[in-house]
Amino acid sequence: MKREHINRGTARHDSMGYGKMAALKDPEMDAGMDELLAVLGYKLRYSDMEDVAQKLEQLDRAMGISSSTEQEDHALISHLASDAVHYNPSDLSGWVENMMSEMNNPNAFDLPPPAVDLSALIHCGSEQEIERGTRDRKRMRTSSSSSSFYTACREDQLIPPSIGLTAASAAAPVFPIVMLDDSQEAGICLVHALLACAEAVQQENYKSADAIMKQISVLTSSQRGAIQKVAGYFAEALSRRIYRFPPNQDCSLDSAFSDILQMHFYESCPYLKFAHFTANQAILEAFTGFRRVHVIDFAMKQGMQWPALMQALALRPGGPPSFRLTGIGPSQPDNSDALRQVGWKLSQLAETLNIDFEFRGLVANSIADIEPYMLESGSAEPEAAAINAVFELHNLLAIPGGIEKILGAVRSINPRILTVVEQEADHNDGKFLERFNKALHYYSTLFDSLEGCDGAAEQVMTEVFLGRQICNVVACEGAARTERHETLPQWGARMDRAGFQPVHLGSNAFKQASMLLALFAGGDGYRVEERDGCLTLGWHSCPLIATSAWRVAGASASSGESAAGTASPSQ
Amino acid sequence: MMQFTESAAHGPPPPLHPTLRAWPDFPYNSSSSSSSNKSAGGQLSSLTNAACMEQLLAHCAHAIDTHDATLAQQLLWVLHNIAPPDGDSNQRLTAAFLRALVLRASRSSSSPCAALAAALSDVNHDSPLTPLSLSPVSLAAFIDLTPWHRFGFSAANAAITDAADSFPVLHLVDLSTTYSMQLPTLIESLAARPEGAPFLRVTVASPPESTSPPPTLDMPLEQLGARLVNFARSRNVSMEFRVVPSTPADGFESLLEHLRLHQLVTDPAAEALVINCHMMLHCTPDESAPPPETAQQTAAPIMLSSLRTMFLKALRALEPTVVVVVDEDADFTAGDVVGRLRAAFNYMWIPFDAVENLLPRGGEQRRRYEASVCWKIENSIAQEGAQRVERLETRSRWTQRMRGVGFRAVGFGEEAAGEVKSMLDEHSAGWGLKKDEEELILTWKGHDAVFASAWMPSSLR
Repeated sequence: MKREHINRGTARHDSMGYGKMAALKDPEMDAGMDELLAVLGYKLRYSDMEDVAQKLEQLDRAMGISSSTEQEDHALISHLASDAVHYNPSDLSGWVENMMSEMNNPNAFDLPPPAVDLSALIHCGSEQEIERGTRDRKRMRTSSSSSSFYTACREDQLIPPSIGLTAASAAAPVFPIVMLDDSQEAGICLVHALLACAEAVQQENYKSADAIMKQISVLTSSQRGAIQKVAGYFAEALSRRIYRFPPNQDCSLDSAFSDILQMHFYESCPYLKFAHFTANQAILEAFTGFRRVHVIDFAMKQGMQWPALMQALALRPGGPPSFRLTGIGPSQPDNSDALRQVGWKLSQLAETLNIDFEFRGLVANSIADIEPYMLESGSAEPEAAAINAVFELHNLLAIPGGIEKILGAVRSINPRILTVVEQEADHNDGKFLERFNKALHYYSTLFDSLEGCDGAAEQVMTEVFLGRQICNVVACEGAARTERHETLPQWGARMDRAGFQPVHLGSNAFKQASMLLALFAGGDGYRVEERDGCLTLGWHSCPLIATSAWRVAGASASSGESAAGTASPSQ
Repeated sequence: MMQFTESAAHGPPPPLHPTLRAWPDFPYNSSSSSSSNKSAGGQLSSLTNAACMEQLLAHCAHAIDTHDATLAQQLLWVLHNIAPPDGDSNQRLTAAFLRALVLRASRSSSSPCAALAAALSDVNHDSPLTPLSLSPVSLAAFIDLTPWHRFGFSAANAAITDAADSFPVLHLVDLSTTYSMQLPTLIESLAARPEGAPFLRVTVASPPESTSPPPTLDMPLEQLGARLVNFARSRNVSMEFRVVPSTPADGFESLLEHLRLHQLVTDPAAEALVINCHMMLHCTPDESAPPPETAQQTAAPIMLSSLRTMFLKALRALEPTVVVVVDEDADFTAGDVVGRLRAAFNYMWIPFDAVENLLPRGGEQRRRYEASVCWKIENSIAQEGAQRVERLETRSRWTQRMRGVGFRAVGFGEEAAGEVKSMLDEHSAGWGLKKDEEELILTWKGHDAVFASAWMPSSLR
């Protein structure tokens, strides 16, 4: 019986392989087929998902009945997750059916691992085929272990909006495929299960969603590295949505914890550092020649951005200006004065740097609460102002009129520069599935880039930090959904409507960011790019964050011409 | 919503979360000292800035060596913005060290990549430098821009003509990074000798280019030698020029072998052996340098002394008539890069400052000159092991070394000092000469820059 099973699989695999080659040679492949999966040799079509969900449910029930003991559960999971035997995911429905039929045969799970020579032989064959298919897809072969997932997610952007999983032909027999390296198929399976679950959520079919979710956890456990982690966060976020258990949105309670997580994010990877360098570069250049300068930081956090700027101002050619910093931060649950602590520390630094320094803290749980008068210069002497918004503006998109209000306030003080750093992503789509799909792509790329970073603890904390964003994007709606990332063109249009014009970040900023990245980010996966005067930092070809700089359109260089309260030209 | 303004009256709040990084401390002049020195005005502020820049560079070097990427990146960002490579001399000095640190970081970078190479080529030179190898005439003109080398040429030639006074043959072994640019003036002063010029036998080592700062000579040394022989003939001086391939990396082993053989067949009474060490001895491996591979494998399972000491001992064994040592008076031998950086920062300001009002910024000569200075800084800061050849030692250390192997200082006469002084008159007023019993010292604004000393074998040996 066992022997027969393996032999059958082998034989079928060979014939499949032949078919795959034929498929590769055919440029006019079925347009509805996932291109990557086709390359890998799987005929996968998306249609009726309901069918799959039902079968998954049946399987679930069957498993519940037959594997009543923990041992059997374990046997099932390890069978699913086994490194040695996997089933062709092209026929998910058939796969589920097969699982069910095997449930009826208690011996099915006692399969020994295939003989080494046999699997090695087959492995070689499939490797070659993958190689053929990836000739123009080098990433698959060059990037880390999570590459298959990364690629799968990238390709998922190609998936047409109506996603469903079903067998290409329901009547097709089951082809177990024996491979040593199974992670790619299982990873792809996982992605499709996540997307299927998201679609069920969008259709408010929570029964199906619940069924698929159970499989997702099994599939996730078979993965390693970035795949497993990012899938885990998305699965958690989906679960919170399905089971109506939204994440705690009381931001004042955990702002201290958020700050700590953010510091780990700062340390472990280059994104936040890039944000600070590029924004500081624009601010420093905008302050050239001014004797009095004022920075308003929309998110003071731990003030990590400012020591370097203060040091650069202290030693700038031409002597230091007097420097005023206004930091905005949320109130603390224990009434501790976190802002004051940061301000005091920076004052001490300013003293050692011999800079004339003044710090002002503004406690506000949202920058939407900021009124223009709060930002205005207290002193009669003219000063150059810079407003810094690092990963802050997208939060305002959750509040009706929020962004218009704050941009109006910014315009009223006519700063020399407004520096904006945002996630380069479109996570503010009203359609849940679109948003989910894009976020899955975005965060899997981001998690992929973290795999090279040193310091396991830092990496874990960074993943927790990003996991909270995932949770917000996926599990929250309405005012609670604050991670409303939008792309540079979207921001550009909004800034234009609000009466701002772009300030090009100089080539100096680009060169420096490139060099600092090259020296310290380790590996050449990170890429700095210049786009229409903005700088992006990405992983391989995928930009992940973007720095842009703005000033009030038509404003004269040194005076506050633009009157406070001017209505924005167009909405 | 609440609002407050920070002021000193609040006093220190409880400490921040421990994970907040502290910006490194800087020992700035306290406000009291700066107020008491207000009269110094702009001078003080520039001095203070130099001290701050040194401190930033030192912190940055430390951050790079301890793999503190976050701090290193922050400091590099700051340094890039405060030290434009086309700024004043302090900023240029800082920019040179910054480039050296970037190179150092790139050396220790785990995965050198294309982006890094591109970034570095960008950082290194904004535009392709004008030819780094020059014709003998251009090279001579370049070297004569400042007294940095001329001082040593002048002092050494005086000592050499003195020592060779009664000899019919003068065998000059020229160990120099300046491609025998010293010889034309020596030939002229020998030609002017009342009793007629001696036969001049010149032996030069031809070290690999990697041990010499740019600019280099655009022709082989042999060809240069032929020109020098022609020049000598025009001055009625008979001359022979021989190139012995030899490198300071192995303590000039092949040169020493050549000299030993030569001495066997030479009458010491007829031929004066003069060793002229012009800023090349500091390229020999000192005690802190790793022993060369070959020595490790074969001859020296027990290395009792450095190649530097061994070379000086071997020189002593040749019983030379005189050994002239001209070198830069600084200590670049610290094992830790921070110590070396501080020493180099407090010395290399001199060559930057010395040309600030001499050569127009951005001009070809200025860029060539600064490339030469930057080469030394980069070698000392960015390189390690055998590649780090700028291992300067102070004059007191060289005195100690020379005495240790059995030489005694000869000292320079008033005549030699007078010649150097008249040469300095052709240069900026910032240059000065100090003379003590044993040495001549070139100074810039009162700071010791280059020393020259002459040595004979002590009689008790």
